[in-house]
Amino acid sequence: MAQLDNIIHQTVRLQIMSSLVSLDQRERVNFTTLRKLLKLTDGNLGAHLNKLEQAGYIEIEKTFVARKPQTFIFATGKGRDAFTEHTTALQQIIQGTKNND
Amino acid sequence: MNVSQDDARASLSTIRDARIQTQRAAISTYASPMMILWGTLWIIAFIATHLYIEHGQHIFTAMNVVGIAVSAIIFYQLFHSKPPFREDPSERLGWRIAALWILLYVYVIIWLFLLAPFSGMQCNAFISTAGMFACVVMGLWFKSTFMIVLGLVMTGVTLVGFYLLTSCYCLWMAMMGGGSLLGAGLYIRVRWR
Repeated sequence: MAQLDNIIHQTVRLQIMSSLVSLDQRERVNFTTLRKLLKLTDGNLGAHLNKLEQAGYIEIEKTFVARKPQTFIFATGKGRDAFTEHTTALQQIIQGTKNND
Repeated sequence: MNVSQDDARASLSTIRDARIQTQRAAISTYASPMMILWGTLWIIAFIATHLYIEHGQHIFTAMNVVGIAVSAIIFYQLFHSKPPFREDPSERLGWRIAALWILLYVYVIIWLFLLAPFSGMQCNAFISTAGMFACVVMGLWFKSTFMIVLGLVMTGVTLVGFYLLTSCYCLWMAMMGGGSLLGAGLYIRVRWR
């Protein structure tokens, strides 16, 4: 039986993980692009990214592109697995095949 | 954790929305400038060819030179200024995409030499559908339904013009080929970002 994930379930973190998982495994998204996509502030996005990074669900890559500092974010394998399990658990709740406790 | 069926539905809806939004933004970033560029060039080149049919070969040669040069500049800007998305550098995906299109051009030129002689319209339809074939291949590669549909629709448009609208093929391609590319490019730029 799939388990819900406390860290992922929070709405903003759910949006972040959904965005990252929808990209190819080799693809990263720019911090600014993700902030605009999800309509968040720098501080709000940064706080949720830290939480996901601490859980090992995402990696934050700081690099230089054309001599300018850029931050890119991508979902790790562990994050993708946790997201898949969380989504499965949500579907099981809807189908009534899982107790929601 | 206590999650009701309604909460679960709302969460899945949030997931679906965020996924669609991100995928559309990724497609829009790379595809819309190319579609706007090539749509505009097609409109200009096909109308010019309709008006000056004897210069068709030169018009399309000039269009390809301009298109390839501007495409290279756009891609350089996208990957080197402030890229919204980025591939793992070890994958060298940008170079592999460029290689696909360069190889396609080389092979198209080889095939044209092998197939000669042919009419200007045959040559044009051949190059157009070859480009759309690469678009479909890229769609399969990147799992992008949008690119697959775009490639197939534009191939259909070219075939309709070639077989059914021979007398006004250039105008048809300018309006339906170039116009569709330009319109779709502008639409996804405005609505999908």
